[in-house]
Amino acid sequence: MKEIDARGLSCPAPVLQTKAVVEQEKADAVRVVVDTAASQQNVKRFLESQGFETALEKQGGDYVVVGNCTASPQKKEPPKPQSEGNIDLKKIMVMCATDRIGFGDDELGLKLMVNFIRTLKEMGPELWRLVFVNNGVKLTIDGSEVLADLKGFEETGLCILVCGTCLDHFNLLERKQVGETTNMLDIVTAMQLADKVISI
Amino acid sequence: MIVGLERADDAGVYRISEDLALIQTVDFFTPIVDDPYWFGQIAAANALSDIYAMGGEPKTAMNLVGFPIKQMDLSILRQILAGGLDKMKEAGVALVGGHSIEDGELKYGLSVTGFVHPKRVLTKRGMKPGDRLVLTKPLGTGVINTALKGGLASADVIDKVIRLMATLNRDAATVMARFPIHACTDVTGFGLLGHLAEMVVGTGYGVVLRTADIPILPEAIEYAGYGLLPAGAFKNREFRTALVECTPGIDPLIQDLLFDPQTSGGLLICIGEENADRLLEGLVKKNATESKIIGEVVAEPKEKIVLK
Repeated sequence: MKEIDARGLSCPAPVLQTKAVVEQEKADAVRVVVDTAASQQNVKRFLESQGFETALEKQGGDYVVVGNCTASPQKKEPPKPQSEGNIDLKKIMVMCATDRIGFGDDELGLKLMVNFIRTLKEMGPELWRLVFVNNGVKLTIDGSEVLADLKGFEETGLCILVCGTCLDHFNLLERKQVGETTNMLDIVTAMQLADKVISI
Repeated sequence: MIVGLERADDAGVYRISEDLALIQTVDFFTPIVDDPYWFGQIAAANALSDIYAMGGEPKTAMNLVGFPIKQMDLSILRQILAGGLDKMKEAGVALVGGHSIEDGELKYGLSVTGFVHPKRVLTKRGMKPGDRLVLTKPLGTGVINTALKGGLASADVIDKVIRLMATLNRDAATVMARFPIHACTDVTGFGLLGHLAEMVVGTGYGVVLRTADIPILPEAIEYAGYGLLPAGAFKNREFRTALVECTPGIDPLIQDLLFDPQTSGGLLICIGEENADRLLEGLVKKNATESKIIGEVVAEPKEKIVLK
């Protein structure tokens, strides 16, 4: 039985200390002493998530969790600082500074842009940020041909950023229907974090 | 004086004339995220929220700063203030001044002044049986912030939660202003059930919540299962547990998450049944964060919150 004294520590420290002992020392029986009912509950939950059977005790003014590992197959992986599934995924940022592609025929340009936005989903989960600036913000307002597509992207968790200064300039702040209003610092930070920035 | 100290509400309201009242509020806290610019945005969004919860429009604000100048580089403070200012600009609020002191622990927030029509003031009082309750942001930021503190939150989740906390309640408030609202507050440190309790106590009515309809960040449920609930959630539960009746079969984890203290949480709106669906439709269309109808006001059981 491994004793852990986590008194005087506040959440989440008692859980972290227990986690370290369970993982590094491969302890299969622990007795954790804490000084609040909150920490007791949290340690109990952590141990149970790791396949331990737990019992709660009082010890003077302190709270105790006794845990015994029953090698349950239900043991869950504790959360990792990096989501491992995504570690190889590139972060692609697409910045649209216009509502049509290329110069020449505007009608064609608009059609191409609609097609472009719809085809973007082929990038899959690597599509990380979609940013609209200048005339591009017009794609995010009511009546936009790609509004439903953009809303669909947003539902799948894609972060869509729309330039607030641009919306304000065109007097469209009230008409934006999708995405988050953003600012230049946020856009620049996103560029820095992205693996690839595609500018249209 | 329309709203003062006699009953705790989100902000004080003082009538200036027949058609104008002043709303005043102040809020500041210690950093919850590592990035100073985002911390500034979140602290400002959080402080501005009380004005929106009272049905008002924020107009001016002053910075409140405690900064450990001997231990920290001044550029950090500059980034915090830039974040706060950007949020104020987004809200259409003028920064008119502020005050800073040297402090061992970094603190930032705002004192905010707003306007409201005296007849459009929204308080926590006014729920009626049959009313629906609408929540405009998902719960779970307290758990995720605890995971973040413990170095256990994934980068994607941190990013998502930071954006959620920095999102103004303005869009939700704009939609809300088009409807007759019976009561409103914002969900912050006492958690959903703590703030709902403040709306319920003294009314003679009760509330039934459908837990399956309450928006909760999925990662918060996951992390809470690893024992990452903040101590505040337990304190909130201890304080209000007598008021809450839980139907058997509801996961205790979900109950605890309903007490999770929120930073810059959503609005909790109480509206007549006849308008509830249209309000929700407006919110879903206009508001960037997740909105849901989560329950209703009932005549019985009196002054209880029933979880179903």
